[in-house]
Amino acid sequence: MIATSPGLPPDVLEALKNAVGTRNFLASPAELRTYECDGLTAFRVTPAAVVLPTSTEQVASVLRITGQRGIPVVARGAGTGLSGGALPVPGCVVIGLARMARILEIDLENERMRVQPGVINLDISTALAPHGYYYAPDPSSQLVCTIGGNVAENSGGAHCLKYGFTTHHVVAATAVLSNGEIVRMGSSAADPIGYDLMSALVGSEGMLAVVTEVVVRILRKPEATRTFFATFPSTDEAGEAVSRIIGAGIVPAAVEMMDRLAIEAIVASTHVDWPDVGAALLMDVDGPLAEVEHTADAATRIASEAGAYEVRRPRDEAERALMWKGRKGAFAAMGRISPNYYVQDGVIPRSEIARVLREISALAAAAGLRVANVFHAGDGNLHPLVLYDGNVAGEAQRAEHVAGQILETCIKYGGSITGEHGVGSDKAIYMGQLFNEDDLTAMNAVRCAFDPQSLLNPGKVFPTPRLCGDRPGPYAPHQTETAGLANLG
Amino acid sequence: MIGTPLAPSAQDHIAGVAPERVYEPASIDDLIAVVRESARARDAIVVIGGGTELELGAPPQRLDAVIRTRCCAGLVEYAPLDQVITVEAGMTLAQLQHITGEHQQRLAIDAPQPQRATIGGIIAANTFGPLRTRFGSIRDVIVGVSLVRADGTLVRGGGKVVKNVAGFDIPRLVVGSLGSLGVIATATLRLHPLPETAASVYVRGLDAAQVRALARQIRALQLEPSVMIAQLGAQGYGVTFRFEGFAAGVSAQIEVLASAAGTLGHAWEVAAAPGLSELEAAHDAARVSGDLRLKFSALPATFENVHERVIRPLTELLAAAQCVWYPYAGCGFIAGSAAHDPGRIGQTLRDARAVLEGAEGSLVLHAAPPPIRALVEPWGTPPSAFAVMQRLKDRFDPEGRLCPGRFVGGL
Repeated sequence: MIATSPGLPPDVLEALKNAVGTRNFLASPAELRTYECDGLTAFRVTPAAVVLPTSTEQVASVLRITGQRGIPVVARGAGTGLSGGALPVPGCVVIGLARMARILEIDLENERMRVQPGVINLDISTALAPHGYYYAPDPSSQLVCTIGGNVAENSGGAHCLKYGFTTHHVVAATAVLSNGEIVRMGSSAADPIGYDLMSALVGSEGMLAVVTEVVVRILRKPEATRTFFATFPSTDEAGEAVSRIIGAGIVPAAVEMMDRLAIEAIVASTHVDWPDVGAALLMDVDGPLAEVEHTADAATRIASEAGAYEVRRPRDEAERALMWKGRKGAFAAMGRISPNYYVQDGVIPRSEIARVLREISALAAAAGLRVANVFHAGDGNLHPLVLYDGNVAGEAQRAEHVAGQILETCIKYGGSITGEHGVGSDKAIYMGQLFNEDDLTAMNAVRCAFDPQSLLNPGKVFPTPRLCGDRPGPYAPHQTETAGLANLG
Repeated sequence: MIGTPLAPSAQDHIAGVAPERVYEPASIDDLIAVVRESARARDAIVVIGGGTELELGAPPQRLDAVIRTRCCAGLVEYAPLDQVITVEAGMTLAQLQHITGEHQQRLAIDAPQPQRATIGGIIAANTFGPLRTRFGSIRDVIVGVSLVRADGTLVRGGGKVVKNVAGFDIPRLVVGSLGSLGVIATATLRLHPLPETAASVYVRGLDAAQVRALARQIRALQLEPSVMIAQLGAQGYGVTFRFEGFAAGVSAQIEVLASAAGTLGHAWEVAAAPGLSELEAAHDAARVSGDLRLKFSALPATFENVHERVIRPLTELLAAAQCVWYPYAGCGFIAGSAAHDPGRIGQTLRDARAVLEGAEGSLVLHAAPPPIRALVEPWGTPPSAFAVMQRLKDRFDPEGRLCPGRFVGGL
């Protein structure tokens, strides 16, 4: 889908330009096209204007203008999102936050760090490394994705099994509401009073406010980390190993699973010397040294008992880094084995991994397609990659269909349609299968409390457009009551 | 049928206010029916779980009906392999721990009075215990919630899997909202494995600066205690550590800590901790005893100042004062008897609050006798985004019937 955008009135464009300065204002067609999509390139809409503010005050000025004129706004970090969460809407202003990329403060004793939203995820840990601290959430895109985008999407990564997601690591934010009002949410100190708006903001996909400053929790590096790589005949045995390791009371920092196709692609792109096997696990345990030695040995033994061909440990830090580079580059590596691929993101209960993978495999076979799996097994967070050739008529549609069937399978098993990529534009239609109308109405109530005009990132998350309208009125009897059908309870 | 309302007892009073009626629904369907009936009658309602935090916040401006959840206490779903459990809100913490303990798992929340405290109450009041040190609070383990809205509509937020970013985070919005957004019906929670072993170490006789230095030292040594709490006694602070995990890791960490404490230049006594039950009793005293109880939060690095300007003045004024500080979470509790000189206590509380609020912290009254309540607002200065909070309350409870006036800023 490619849509062009209606323009904005000249006075609005002029006001926006004045708000951020000429150098931070883009309106020429060529410049605007850069912002027409995020990592989900199948959908494209050219925005009416792009502003690249350099301060909270500039963001507030922009939102005052758009708020007064009722113009939709789409905030954007690095544009690495995979669900179309930063897809513009026709006639909108995109606020790109890449130029607000300063680290403002590192506070080791209080274990806090204050950054602007455009700071790259990995740069936070890099800045902390000399002090022996790090920032835990590590999405695979961490080399390029920004913390502002992470807040919008509640980003995860490989190590969230033990350490949690963005929501566990962001404690406060400065944000601008859709009317231009600057507010602070959360606190660097514990348990700020009032509703936990900070938690609502994390994972709200840019629909509640535009974040201009973030305070993250930073962690002391663990004393030791042990990595191991185990190969298995199939994903059945690998899934069983994951269940048994966790069942033994071990909380690994990360447990990643790759199936045969994913291993093939990773080997082709990174030259790790992984064998041609049905499945592999890449796992980290970390913590105090004595604890880690114990859990690493125990996990190795359990993996063997569950049917591992071999369990190897990296010889040195360089080999460990290569293993993880292979894993984190897995999506891009798919280009080695397929002209095109569709990334899916769904969650199932961990104990159902083997069964669901077999169902996915059957779905793909029925469509005449291949699916590679590389995912966060400890969380049950699947990332099936549906491989297809866009030059073959109908394959792209079949791939999209299979990807949709995979989500329905996740829902059937009591899981979720997204574990970390977000709902965005891509999955909004599935929200109605996961939640009922009343659930979505409650979520919309949250949105309306923040953004009564629904100007921020419209068209995302909700399956059908929703307005705020008047606040809900007093109690009205349900039709079953008036009809005398329900004698409740 | 929702049944005939019960007569209120003293246990149904909310911060000193008596309800007209009490309901005790026997199931979630009954609970929905009761809320719906209250909507029809335009009743102001307050929900009671175990009744351990009924004095938190302001007294309700109106109170027609109390809804007790203790009969909505069933297990909805437990998948030990997935380490996730769904329970009805009225289940007690002890009951949940009993169920999960049979599978060598636990909810990593050790709130006081587990035999009384319910899961719904723990969520609504955001209660926690010493395990907060490592595992955080209920917001860190909540995965899903179902909520009866003010009009009686049952809605779900979150889900049954731990990793899930579909939709806005209703579960965490409900945490700490004191029942003002809806009635919690069920909750889905992440569980952790029960540790193979646990051992505690007690370091006595520290001043505030030493407590702070010890916390820094633990980080420098890369130790990972499940618990670090500092309790104020006659000889200064006693700091308790609990290490949990596999035996090899626990004993190694205790050895490192013991030798480090010896080299820090203070004559600190490192001893085997008192029994855990004794320890928990001492901790809980600072949470549940006395007629004045408060929680405060502050950045960990400001602890000496907090000690001088908050803890010392208040514990000197209160009779039988208790204080516990969580050095990593950056929060603490003070409790005692405020029988004498409410005017001076009130002024001291206001001064303490100003100190804390001036450095990002807060001071919240969890219980206070009426003369203190007359002088000190329970929550403190409404936060920056208060207008958003007002609109949120308005959207979820347009008629202001869910514990009206109890929450922050009179919400």
